[in-house]
Amino acid sequence: MVKSILIVDDSPVARMIMKKCLPESLGITIIEAKNGQEGVEKYQQHQPDLTFMDLTMPVMDGFTALSLIKAINPQAVVVVATADIQEKVLQRVEDLGALLTLKKPPSKQALADALKRAKEALAQVRS
Amino acid sequence: MIFDQIFETINSGLIVLDRDMKVCHWNRWMAMHAHIASEDIIGRSLFEFYPELNRPHFLRNCKAVLAFGHFCFFSQKLHKYLFPMAPVGSLVDHFEQMQQSCAMGPLRNEEGGIEKCYISVQDVTEVVLYQKKLVQLTMTDQLTGVYNRNFMESQLSKEIDRCQRYQHDLSLLMIDVDLFKTINDNYGHPCGDFALKTITRRITANIRKTDFLIRYGGDEFCCILTETSQQDAYIVAELLRKSIADTPFEFKDRIFSSTVSIGVAGLNSDDKHLECLLKKADEALYRAKQSGRNTVT
Amino acid sequence: MNAMVEEIFATEEKDILQEVMNIAFGQASADLAEVIDIFVVLSVPNIQVIQGRDLPKYLLEEIHSSGLVNIIEQGFLGKFSGQALLIFPCGAEKVLLNLFNQGAEAVGGCDIDVDTLELETLMEVGNILIGACIGKIAELLQDIVTYDPPRLIAQDFSLEHPKCCPIDENSFAISIRTVFRFEQEDVEGYLFLITNQRSIEWLKKALYAFLESFE
Repeated sequence: MVKSILIVDDSPVARMIMKKCLPESLGITIIEAKNGQEGVEKYQQHQPDLTFMDLTMPVMDGFTALSLIKAINPQAVVVVATADIQEKVLQRVEDLGALLTLKKPPSKQALADALKRAKEALAQVRS
Repeated sequence: MIFDQIFETINSGLIVLDRDMKVCHWNRWMAMHAHIASEDIIGRSLFEFYPELNRPHFLRNCKAVLAFGHFCFFSQKLHKYLFPMAPVGSLVDHFEQMQQSCAMGPLRNEEGGIEKCYISVQDVTEVVLYQKKLVQLTMTDQLTGVYNRNFMESQLSKEIDRCQRYQHDLSLLMIDVDLFKTINDNYGHPCGDFALKTITRRITANIRKTDFLIRYGGDEFCCILTETSQQDAYIVAELLRKSIADTPFEFKDRIFSSTVSIGVAGLNSDDKHLECLLKKADEALYRAKQSGRNTVT
Repeated sequence: MNAMVEEIFATEEKDILQEVMNIAFGQASADLAEVIDIFVVLSVPNIQVIQGRDLPKYLLEEIHSSGLVNIIEQGFLGKFSGQALLIFPCGAEKVLLNLFNQGAEAVGGCDIDVDTLELETLMEVGNILIGACIGKIAELLQDIVTYDPPRLIAQDFSLEHPKCCPIDENSFAISIRTVFRFEQEDVEGYLFLITNQRSIEWLKKALYAFLESFE
């Protein structure tokens, strides 16, 4: 089960869109961070089940934050959310250990699929 | 109905292609200039008729239009033309192919999806001809037909920059007709003009196509020798001097001789601009004049 | 964002505008990689509102280049209309020519001089970059735009020459600036989208419609 989600994005609108697209009925706790550094700190503090990570952010970008979170917990489930889904970016994000990449702006369907993938990954980790 | 008529009668080529590059529409202008009837090309791939378009650059543009809805422009300056066609009327004398300015853009269905694209073809041959003529007028000397000072200032500075960057040799000859004023005074201006024309003809015959001859002032010429060291330039200058001095001039039963003095300068790494080189050549020319004319320094 | 942005856009509008631009420019990078097979990095777009007469001064400050520049201008027309200005420092055209002709056939005849080739290539590249960015903004905001052919409005143009203002002095411009870098080559360019007041009203409505589409 995905009970808590950390959304790391510098744009308040991007975080809002993400929340709007998440199914409400599940009672998921949402934690927000507005840059990579804050994201890493909040990850450590809350140990969320799933993290949505933007890439281009001030202070610390998503690539760095992703690798730091993976250093804290190699089994952390991180989904990268970016508009720039070119091959090289996807490859780099995958190498850093992201579960998958979500194209921005997200659709409800795409988020539902991402949640499903995250659940499967979490189940694997926990078993 | 109205748009159909405009499509057919507009004085430009219009083509509509589907996503597989199959021709959907081909207007009368295209039929007339490409000599391909619309019924022969509709439903078939554009590349069957124009295989030369099936190249990365064109395909890249098609993708930009069809996948991303971009607009692409194929300028005449860069492409000359997309569709080989004969120029209209007397323009045939100046160009082998009609010069075209083309554009390509997406055509959307009601939902906004890109289903097709169009290509427009505009005949710009006449404009290009005027441009060429204008460039020629501003860059050449009307009497002798060689380049003028305007050309030297706008084009040759770039040539010198390039030589400096790639460390190529380049030399400049400053050529002055000795006692030109006396030719004018003794035999009249038409004869002076004749002398200038003859001198440029003799110089042109002795330099390469890659060199530049410029009429710098009234009786002063400047010759840029590309890929030529100062020593080699000296040999060329001697050749030029002799070609003028050794054969007398003949104008309307009148025979006279004329000579030139030449100053030679080679491009050094510290010559930053055309002016430096000109100054050196000018100084050499002055020395040539001082040492009794008809000489190379 | 500067003070004039605050006057024109409410905080929420400003935030949506910023996010729309973030997404648009991000997607544009991805499209560019696919179309031209070159890795382009677009910086986070910076949005400013500027008076036309202050534009040259603003451009000069933003570009941090005292040297000469080439400016490509392209008009775009839709509900979102305006001019795109793409600014490259002089010399960038040589690098771009190499970058874009790698592995590709040489275009045009052999009688084209290098300068023309470089500048025409610059315009073709400019058209692609401008089209990718504006096309994405339009797509996100449910608009369809058409474009004029690109023009080189200033060649070897000095930004320190304040008289050369490409925009009407009294008009009002929203400037959306991004810096893009080509990964393989160290070339930086600046893209400014200048839109007029008329586009602003439409833009505000479109921004809310964009947000509502996620309800």
